[in-house]
Amino acid sequence: MTAVLAIQNLVHRFPGGVQAVNDVSFAIAPGETLGLVGESGSGKSTIGLLATRLLAPTQGRILFEGQDITRLSAATLRPLRARLQVVFQDPWGALNPRMTIGRLLEEPLRLHGGNLAEARLLAERVRLPLATLGRYPHELSGGQLQRVSIARAIANRPKLIVLDEPTSSLDLSVRAGILQLLEELQRETGVAMLFISHDLETVRLVSHRVAVLYLGRIVETGPAAALFETPGHPYTQTLLSAHLPPDPFVALRRHRVQGEIPSPINLPPGCFFAGRCPLALPACNAGPPAMQPLAPGQEAACLRIADRTNRLEPAEDPA
Amino acid sequence: MTLLAVQDLHVEFATRGLDNRLRVAQALNGVSFTVAAGEVVGLVGETGAGKSLTALAAMGLLRPPARIPHGSIRFEGREIIGLSDRELEKIRGRRMAMIVQSPLTSLDPLKRIGDQLVRMQRVHDTAHGAAARTKAEAMLAAVRIPDPARRMRAWPHELSGGMAQRVLIAMALVNDPALIIADEPTTGLDVTVQAQVLDTLRDIVAARNLGALVITHDLGVVAHYCQRVAVMFAGRIVEDGPVREVFSRPSHPYTRALIDSTPGRIAQLGWTVTGGTPPDLYDLPQGCLYRDRCPRAATACLAAPPRIAVSGTHGAACHFAGEAA
Repeated sequence: MTAVLAIQNLVHRFPGGVQAVNDVSFAIAPGETLGLVGESGSGKSTIGLLATRLLAPTQGRILFEGQDITRLSAATLRPLRARLQVVFQDPWGALNPRMTIGRLLEEPLRLHGGNLAEARLLAERVRLPLATLGRYPHELSGGQLQRVSIARAIANRPKLIVLDEPTSSLDLSVRAGILQLLEELQRETGVAMLFISHDLETVRLVSHRVAVLYLGRIVETGPAAALFETPGHPYTQTLLSAHLPPDPFVALRRHRVQGEIPSPINLPPGCFFAGRCPLALPACNAGPPAMQPLAPGQEAACLRIADRTNRLEPAEDPA
Repeated sequence: MTLLAVQDLHVEFATRGLDNRLRVAQALNGVSFTVAAGEVVGLVGETGAGKSLTALAAMGLLRPPARIPHGSIRFEGREIIGLSDRELEKIRGRRMAMIVQSPLTSLDPLKRIGDQLVRMQRVHDTAHGAAARTKAEAMLAAVRIPDPARRMRAWPHELSGGMAQRVLIAMALVNDPALIIADEPTTGLDVTVQAQVLDTLRDIVAARNLGALVITHDLGVVAHYCQRVAVMFAGRIVEDGPVREVFSRPSHPYTRALIDSTPGRIAQLGWTVTGGTPPDLYDLPQGCLYRDRCPRAATACLAAPPRIAVSGTHGAACHFAGEAA
């Protein structure tokens, strides 16, 4: 089956020398959710912008439903946009404050001559009270506004939705409702999703597969369960061990690393994590490490995997 | 020893709408809790529950139109409601200090880190000159800032988010306060940095036998860094107790809903929680404020629930708290 989205060797450099994305490749199948996790500066939002061609890459290829969209002009892209949608973190910034919710829902429907009746169906679909259709964005809660954003994204039966931190500004119980809605929509329509987040627990819950980014490079990728159960790359191990599970009876097993993510200007020639990695070898600084297989569908870019010496020391409970 | 004792605290805001009619929002509706020396108490709840407002009230930082119609806030045995700014200045930044969420907007961008730490001591007359500089450098070392002597000369914009938050902790601690109030101290930070900053804060609180009130919406922070927790909903504390007791036996339906909304629990239990909006603070209903969202709501809930003891140290403001959930 053709991937809905295929990203090949993508590179993006911002003016000023910030290398935000470094040779990233992945594909998303119909009905699949790929979770993209990383800390700030890892390039996850830039990848979201590139995948939806709101930004043009410096190098590499982007294929949407088999069609190369890497260099398409804004005008040529427009007819594709109905099928390639995006939802951002901040619905207050994403929705026109001067339009009523009803008009905001009608707007995307107009592409195929939709009307208010269809807007009502759309509202019901995302469980938005019909009473909100006459209101303005500032009169709705964050959770309701995010439902409006999602409704607009699904209005024209998209094949892919890029979700960039869609629940990060929402409270816990509201967040659960949005995640449930996304899961339902995917089950009913088979839409593929690229779910970008720094929230490890949420990514684990919603994703089929996960890719871990560090300084614009994918350091590990695999099925969500395998990656979270047995992370292979020392950075993935470190990241997961720093997470605080909301359960006081789960002991923390934290791997300590030195320092914070270095600046994405003047990146080293080898593994970007080598400077903080307790397992780094001289060879790690020679060149970018190749992906090594760990388990079916799971691979990580670490030289230590070849002889299975990639496990960080059993960490101590910091408490 | 109890450092902070908040008792039946009410806070309201009187504002005029576009129609010039006076409306009163009842933001805190009877908040009670204590923080003792040597313990970290978590205050958890969703947006608008009144967590930050509680912290501001405890620091004596409320200004009109906020009003305290009722309640008591005792710090080190002394009532602080009604104290003048002059008297409060002797306590704030000296005996109790606050750490806020956005470190970079809380530091003066035009002053070097070391000078800001020295100024904190000069203003409160705790140390001056060379002694203050030595203390400042020692505080940077205590919050595990590498190469503190060099960092004394750094400007705020040269610091990463994690480093800036450590500097803010150093600022809060430099006058040896008894109580720290931390409002979402690690919310903007990456997970690996968050863990390091929280470890530092916890170690200092333990080593100096401080009391700490940590305000957060993150149950992971509560689970691993707090000994006791108070859960807020619509300006009330609906449940309080030792962290392990509250997590193993949540006795207010809202606490249970919060725990069951975490992704790990959803993976186990499925989608059990339906979100909802908190009550209108301008028009609070009688009785239990969680009633409209509560799966257990009954006629009894039309009367305000008292705090019912679940154990000697754990209680919940729910008529059904004593029964099995």
